[in-house]
Amino acid sequence: MEKKLWWKLLCVPILMYVIIVGLSIPLSPGITSMTQYTANTGQTFTTRVTTYNTFHTKAKEVKARLRKDSSLIIAGQNVKVLDDNNIEVTFTIPAFMPSSREQERFSLDVDNDFDGYGTLPGKFIIKQNNIDSLKGAQVWKNTNFGDLNQRGRNFPFRGLLFETIRNTFFHVPLWFGMLFLFIGATWNSFMYLRTQNPARDRKAEVLTMVGLLFGMLGIITGMIWAKSTWGTYWTWKEIKLNMTAIALLIYFAYFVLRNAFDDLEKRARIAAVYNVFAFVAALILINVIPRMTDSSLHPGNGGNPAFGSDDMDNTLRMVFYPAIIGWTLLGFWISTIYYRVLNIEEKILEN
Amino acid sequence: MYFCYMNTFQEIWFLFRKELTLEFRQKYAISGILLYVFSTIFVVYTSTFDAGPKQWNILFWIIVLFASVNTAAKSFVQESGTRQLYYYTLVNPVAIIISKMLYNTLLLLVLNFLAYGVFSLVLGSPVRDLQLFFIAIFLASLGFSITFTFISAISSKADNSASLMAILGFPIVIPILMELVKVSQNAMPGSFDSSINEDIMILLAIDLMLGGAALMLFPFLWRD
Repeated sequence: MEKKLWWKLLCVPILMYVIIVGLSIPLSPGITSMTQYTANTGQTFTTRVTTYNTFHTKAKEVKARLRKDSSLIIAGQNVKVLDDNNIEVTFTIPAFMPSSREQERFSLDVDNDFDGYGTLPGKFIIKQNNIDSLKGAQVWKNTNFGDLNQRGRNFPFRGLLFETIRNTFFHVPLWFGMLFLFIGATWNSFMYLRTQNPARDRKAEVLTMVGLLFGMLGIITGMIWAKSTWGTYWTWKEIKLNMTAIALLIYFAYFVLRNAFDDLEKRARIAAVYNVFAFVAALILINVIPRMTDSSLHPGNGGNPAFGSDDMDNTLRMVFYPAIIGWTLLGFWISTIYYRVLNIEEKILEN
Repeated sequence: MYFCYMNTFQEIWFLFRKELTLEFRQKYAISGILLYVFSTIFVVYTSTFDAGPKQWNILFWIIVLFASVNTAAKSFVQESGTRQLYYYTLVNPVAIIISKMLYNTLLLLVLNFLAYGVFSLVLGSPVRDLQLFFIAIFLASLGFSITFTFISAISSKADNSASLMAILGFPIVIPILMELVKVSQNAMPGSFDSSINEDIMILLAIDLMLGGAALMLFPFLWRD
């Protein structure tokens, strides 16, 4: 008994870890907006910067800087802390830039010793009135900013995503879980065709049912996520959304097909044949078509169906990989329970 | 007796000829489908629909899709169950499915070219690259034939096979249809995609994957 139970016992602490850690680790400090996004060379201006998840009043020193990569750095002066999430800072842009382009994109860093640093990448534009890169190289002086303060253990702050980045531990692993469940179902259907053992058919049925459940949960979590980031629950511009919906239709049809037969042996055999065929078709829909189409709003588009490597960091991975294992184990656990329910129902019918 | 001395290729050839003979004798499938195609195109024409290349393309493939479903749906219900049982005792099941797929491919090919002819006669043809468009038609015939022949083999086992055919077939054929629209769109003026050869290869790969799965599974399906 214990031998059979170990993976179910493993599933509970993993999922508890995923939910507790995934929801309680804070986001790293971030910058949500500033009052001014453009400036000309030679200009001195004061801007108000709104940050997220910061405690400026608790910090000894708050610093801000504009930088282009790490080559051009302008430190802000007279940083005035308005409250925990708002500061006012003055920048003086030199009269010439060592660049021959009309405008350059700068990133804004806000740094304090309590939270660590936050970045607004590439949003700030400095325009050049007189383009003279040689003079720029003479005039421009990088301010000495010192090292940035370290951050604690945080999930990355991404504009647009904000706190919804935690959905990574639900939305994405549910799709992984669905895929593993469908693989299990296909294997059982295949084994049914070879052995004609009715238990195999029942296993395939319950695994498909739970896989379908996971797929629907994946779509629902995705829709909620889409509403907060893309502004709509459903969009035709998003190929993955529509392809997975069709893949789920294929599996809905599996149950329609099952109900079309009264003869149990015939039902099991034809459902098994269809299930293997459906898996091939669903694989094409989920894994082939989205990879070759550009019309996707998902991150890591054009190759990777989920997150690109830029979007993940080690803290996310620390929760994301256990989440995949946890949700998959939960899926198989649910299907063993459902399998036993079906067996008991059959026994009741027989008596 | 005659069948006993044949290998699989001869069986396929013989069954293929049998399908053709049956068709020529009854002229049931081809005339019915032609009527369907003509009337659908006429409906589109009378609606005074102003079709740009994009709409033309989509309409063409939708009509072809429904014509293909209707054609392939008859694959396994045309002949009586007892006669099919007789075939199964004589020949390799793989030969049966391959011969049906080949026959359906040929039928759909004829049908699609006719549909294209009528379409361009009535609505005009915006196709710029005929070669590419004919490749798309050929791959469409192959893909639809493979998918719908196999699905009709499954749905013919049930009582209400016509509705099952649509429920099971349409979701599965969508990836093929999407690729077809993409490839044939490239044969129209105003769109050019340099990676179109890749799309053709992917379409072919989808056809072959579904075909391979169908051939592997059919021997489990025919027994009753």
